[in-house]
Amino acid sequence: MDLQRRFLIMSAAAASLAVPLLSSGVAHAAGDPIRKIILATAAQAADPQEFQAAQLIAQEWRKLGLDVEVRGFPRPQLSDLVWFNRQKWDTTMWRMVGRPERSDPDELVYNLFHSSTAEKGFNFVGYVNKDYDSIAESQRRETNVEKRKEIVGKAQAMVAKDAPYVFLVHPKNTVGYLSTVFKPATVVDQGGIGVRNFWTFVQAEPAGAVKDIIANSTESLNSINPLYISGAPDSWVTELIWDRLMRIGPDGLAKPYAAKDVKWVDPTTLEVTLRPGMMWHDGKPVTPDDVIFSFEATMGDKAPMYKPFASNIASMEKVGADGVRFKLKEPNASFLISTIAKMNLIPKHVWEPVLQGMAGKPQNAESYQEQLPIGSGPFKVARYKLNEEIVLEKNAAHWQAPKFDRWILRVIPNNEAGLGMLRRGELNFLSDYRGDPKLLIDLAAQQKDIQVASTVDMGLRFVGHNLRRKPFDDPAFRQALSVAVNRNLMAQAAWNGFAVPASSMISPALPFWHQGTPPKASLDDAKAILKKAGYEVVGNKLHYPNGVKETLQPE
Amino acid sequence: MRSVAIRFAQMLLVLWAVATILFFLFRLMPGDPTLAYIDTTFTAEQQEELMRQFGLDRSLAEQYLLYFANVIQGEFGTSFRSKRPVFTIIFEVLPNTLALTVLSITIAYIFGVLVGAWLAWRRGSIAEAVGIPLVLTLRAAPEFWLGMVLLAIFAFGLGWLPSGGANSAGMQFSSTFDRLTSPDFLRHLILPAATLALYLQGLPLLLMRSNMLDVLQEDYVMMARMKGLPEWRILLLHAARNALLPVVTAFALGLGASVGGNVVVETVFSWPGLGRVLVDAVASSDYPLAQGAFMFIALILIVMNFVADLLYTVLDPRVSHG
Repeated sequence: MDLQRRFLIMSAAAASLAVPLLSSGVAHAAGDPIRKIILATAAQAADPQEFQAAQLIAQEWRKLGLDVEVRGFPRPQLSDLVWFNRQKWDTTMWRMVGRPERSDPDELVYNLFHSSTAEKGFNFVGYVNKDYDSIAESQRRETNVEKRKEIVGKAQAMVAKDAPYVFLVHPKNTVGYLSTVFKPATVVDQGGIGVRNFWTFVQAEPAGAVKDIIANSTESLNSINPLYISGAPDSWVTELIWDRLMRIGPDGLAKPYAAKDVKWVDPTTLEVTLRPGMMWHDGKPVTPDDVIFSFEATMGDKAPMYKPFASNIASMEKVGADGVRFKLKEPNASFLISTIAKMNLIPKHVWEPVLQGMAGKPQNAESYQEQLPIGSGPFKVARYKLNEEIVLEKNAAHWQAPKFDRWILRVIPNNEAGLGMLRRGELNFLSDYRGDPKLLIDLAAQQKDIQVASTVDMGLRFVGHNLRRKPFDDPAFRQALSVAVNRNLMAQAAWNGFAVPASSMISPALPFWHQGTPPKASLDDAKAILKKAGYEVVGNKLHYPNGVKETLQPE
Repeated sequence: MRSVAIRFAQMLLVLWAVATILFFLFRLMPGDPTLAYIDTTFTAEQQEELMRQFGLDRSLAEQYLLYFANVIQGEFGTSFRSKRPVFTIIFEVLPNTLALTVLSITIAYIFGVLVGAWLAWRRGSIAEAVGIPLVLTLRAAPEFWLGMVLLAIFAFGLGWLPSGGANSAGMQFSSTFDRLTSPDFLRHLILPAATLALYLQGLPLLLMRSNMLDVLQEDYVMMARMKGLPEWRILLLHAARNALLPVVTAFALGLGASVGGNVVVETVFSWPGLGRVLVDAVASSDYPLAQGAFMFIALILIVMNFVADLLYTVLDPRVSHG
């Protein structure tokens, strides 16, 4: 404290001495030269597109007079640096994947930029702005959709102005399927997700004799467990097996599913009526007790990954023969999507003994793998080998019984082999393709029965600046860096055209919520912004505004 | 008998060393297993909870003792990611890996030994001029390239064989034995096994050939010739038997190494095996699974080494110490 004060006084004294001295010689003085900036990115081998984008960005920033080093890391190491060493990096390439529950803007508006998540949560850039905090909080409370849209728009505008991120692109998700197996008109395109989604698998109609959906995943599955969020392909399987009260529809909005009816009694009371006649895969009926049990299971300590999503529930009670009333601790506009449409309904008669057996022990529900998982969804488990293949059969008793007999997910880590398998019908739904999208499109041009669907994703690629460190604490500096980046070039050169320029954390794939247009790339504009904020180029090197010292070393 | 006991004790010592190195190796790697969970909704509390669950909140010494106590009881714990017992995961993929490895290495060594001996016999012939560069090329070709070429020709091009996996989609079998002996499985096995065999044959072939060239200079071969024995008898019973010794060691060690070292072939052919499990585990800092899988592979390697030593005594009486 004392030291700090002494330092301040001394540096102030030094500055007051130095300024008149210098200004007598030169017209106006610049601050210290800006140190070498390190742009962290995934290594080229780990993510060639991201690495190339980083090179393009560095190239533009260098034209502003910055010394930029692009440094590639293996993914785990990059995460470790950015997440756990929040004082140590300058700026980093980062990504966020698309998920159905991100159809609601709350997660992106709140968790990314609210100051409460700056220390240890996803606000790793350290954006702290009281005005923004109150906007983020109010959109959460606002249950009127139009009013909320306006608030969410304000949040996006504020982020665009303060530029804690350089929004780069929203990649397109490109997958393919055989039109000889699926009637193309019955394949559903879900906004921001693509055609590989729950609705396609349940509603698509066979076009020929093949009654098996054969899809693929490029990675092994971790588990099939309704109380464990364990990985993307795992979630494709669990959402088919376990029903939810509501599901996120193709339009991105929550719609009643296992619930016949969902209505707000007041901003903290939600009443849900179960659809009649639903059965678990073992033949027992689905009851309101099961529903209450499902939510209670996530509220205790036995399902830590789901627990945060149930934290707003104050209590639940049965209403009549088939109703459940949820009492919330506080109003929350995203409750339907982030909680009601997220929690899997699980049978009490299966899970209650399991959870009771774990009481007082360190194990939790995440480590319990049912031999034959029991849900109430449109597909039921026939058998599975998590490293190899999952086989589901249609649940003919379901009110929305699938049109196909089986749903098979094969683990195929080789992308090129995946293409070959689609061509030969060894797969008929290439649901996970991470190779060059152009190859898939070329293949479809050769072989007419291959249909390709390329959808703008909810996912996002961006550069996150560390606002804790100079010069990234200056909004003008960040704004200039953002304007210098050519997003169109990036989408073309780094993503081969399979991406659209980004201007907000909310993808244009969600047209209701999305707002903003990407800034026009211009080095001159960027230079003008820097100049206006007092930055100066001296001998090709960008300097801080007058009086600002460089206090950091490149790490 | 005493020498066998000493070797056995050495084996245990090596296993302990491997287990210890593995333990520290993974914990020294940058990053920890909670990184895999980083997400917009991931909180500091969840991270602490995970560290507690994984036992990583304890001191390194404490973790080590606990780990060791478990290893001695044959308990390798539960995978961080999939939360299933490590042994369940390993034994699920083990039959696939063993089928692939044993078949391809056996083919490679039988082929390598026979052709190697033959090429030594035919020293200076056209067969040698063509054969040796060909063998070297196959040996030098990257496995993934070889695999992709075979896939492109026999699967995507001619359509004779499947493009990946260990079975056709949705096949059902009553037992593992049924599955491993089914025509469907064997059809899926052909391309990966051929790739691996083509890659592996170079070592035994060249080893056998150079040993044979040495042995053929020996006096006892000359003696056999002078006795007027038929050529094939000299080749097989006198020369080859002695030239075979180093190849046996190479076979035993190669088998051990291949069990975990088929990552490339397993990935190209989407073959659900131990190599892929291992790579996934390391990539996601799944310490228990990675440790378990490595220990398992080390065990096979060490046991195979032991077997090679024992085989030596059978093949070469000079080695056995009375």
